[in-house]
Amino acid sequence: MKRWQRWLIVSVGAVLFLVFEARPAYAMHIMEGFLPPLWALFWFVVVIPFWVIGVRRLRALISDTPEVRLLLGFAAAFTFVLSALKLPSVTGSSSHPTGTGLGAILFGPWVMSILGSIVLLFQALLIAHGGLTTLGANAFSMAVVGPWVAWLIWRSLNGRAPFWVTVFLAAALADLTTYVVTALQLALAHPDPVGGIGASIIKFGAIFAVTQIPLAISEGVLTVLIMNALQTNAKAELEALAVKGIRP
Amino acid sequence: MLRVIDRYAFTNRLRMVDPAQKSAIALTTIVLCLVLDRPLVSGLALLWMVGLAIGYARLPWRVVIAVLSTESMFLMLSVIGIAVRLGVDASTAAVPIGPFWVSMDRSSVLLAGQVFIRVIACVSALNVLALTTPLVDLIDLFHRWRIPTILIEVMILSYRAIFLLLDTLERMVIAQKARLGYASWRSTLRSSALIGSQLFMAAYQRSRMLEQALIGRGFCGEVRVLPIRYHHDWRLWAFLVLMVITVSLARMWG
Repeated sequence: MKRWQRWLIVSVGAVLFLVFEARPAYAMHIMEGFLPPLWALFWFVVVIPFWVIGVRRLRALISDTPEVRLLLGFAAAFTFVLSALKLPSVTGSSSHPTGTGLGAILFGPWVMSILGSIVLLFQALLIAHGGLTTLGANAFSMAVVGPWVAWLIWRSLNGRAPFWVTVFLAAALADLTTYVVTALQLALAHPDPVGGIGASIIKFGAIFAVTQIPLAISEGVLTVLIMNALQTNAKAELEALAVKGIRP
Repeated sequence: MLRVIDRYAFTNRLRMVDPAQKSAIALTTIVLCLVLDRPLVSGLALLWMVGLAIGYARLPWRVVIAVLSTESMFLMLSVIGIAVRLGVDASTAAVPIGPFWVSMDRSSVLLAGQVFIRVIACVSALNVLALTTPLVDLIDLFHRWRIPTILIEVMILSYRAIFLLLDTLERMVIAQKARLGYASWRSTLRSSALIGSQLFMAAYQRSRMLEQALIGRGFCGEVRVLPIRYHHDWRLWAFLVLMVITVSLARMWG
């Protein structure tokens, strides 16, 4: 190996290290401008039906129980602030919980599709993370697919499997599917000229696996601990929210 | 980051300019960069946006550069996926990783560079909007666009609640750290879980208190506030026209 090659490898390693350490590791949002116009539009078209139904559900919920209106505002803020928590992860860098699993268990997937999208919009406008033209794609992966996966696991396994297993799977798999869907969205927009879309999924998946897989595990454990603490400390609040499947 | 951006959003020189005007500039820039998609176009747009933020909105250059460089760090990671090629057969100079052959060539690196500069230009436009416009002004704009009232309500409430909860969160973290919280991997998880559940209850109780306070003052489902009087800045419109013209010229030339 020649000398300059060794230097090249060392400097590439240093850059990679810096990038991984310095990156603000919220969930994996697609940045503004990363998707070509047609794909940006496509994901908006996909997500709009969920928003329409979500708003209808929200209206029905509020006409039934007007006092829930304020709680919804705080729920969105709670999800936003939760993503400011630092979680330890295996690689040494820290990552942040997304709150999609917990939110879906507490508020249901339709409401979460609206709250999650508001959180994504705020992240774009308050901390310049994510984007406006990519909002459709990000909302689909984080506010629609993630919560639905969590909710389906929660509803189907509850009572059949131990409580902590259910909560862990719901939260961890919500994160993992969000990550896979985002990799798919990136791959569709930027397919590999040699290997096509399949190769591209593997590439983007591998790049983010370093932070996203530890994140899924940490968030699973965290959500189990939060749900346990909520069951002992906040029983009345959970009952008021009518969270289904809480241990009597 | 949150508090920094929020502070400058309220104190910059473009604060009282109509949010519709500012978002028109940001969105036009983003759409132009995406549709024209040439490195020269994006580079020019990036210069215009940084110039607008530092020269006209009088934001400190340190803040503008700091926000932009954090974002480019994150972006480099995503762009690697475009610069690297993946194939199952060793056609050209390639490094084997598992069953795949990873390679890089001139065109793929150029493509990655093109995406990089396009994203940075778009992000700088988004930064101009985020750094010059407080979220309350944008929510007011959404109201004018006839976004459903229920969404506006949730947004107003959560914007207020974010800062309340963030203060609570910071105090909780300080208290935990003083008592050996976050000392190890295990205790970090336990401390985070405690915060997660306590913060949920704090949020719930705060919302109940706010509800009672609002009902006591005749709240019936809509928070009404007086609209702020914005002004239109003709220089900004001139800036927009100039930018569109130069960027279109750049597209024809390069």
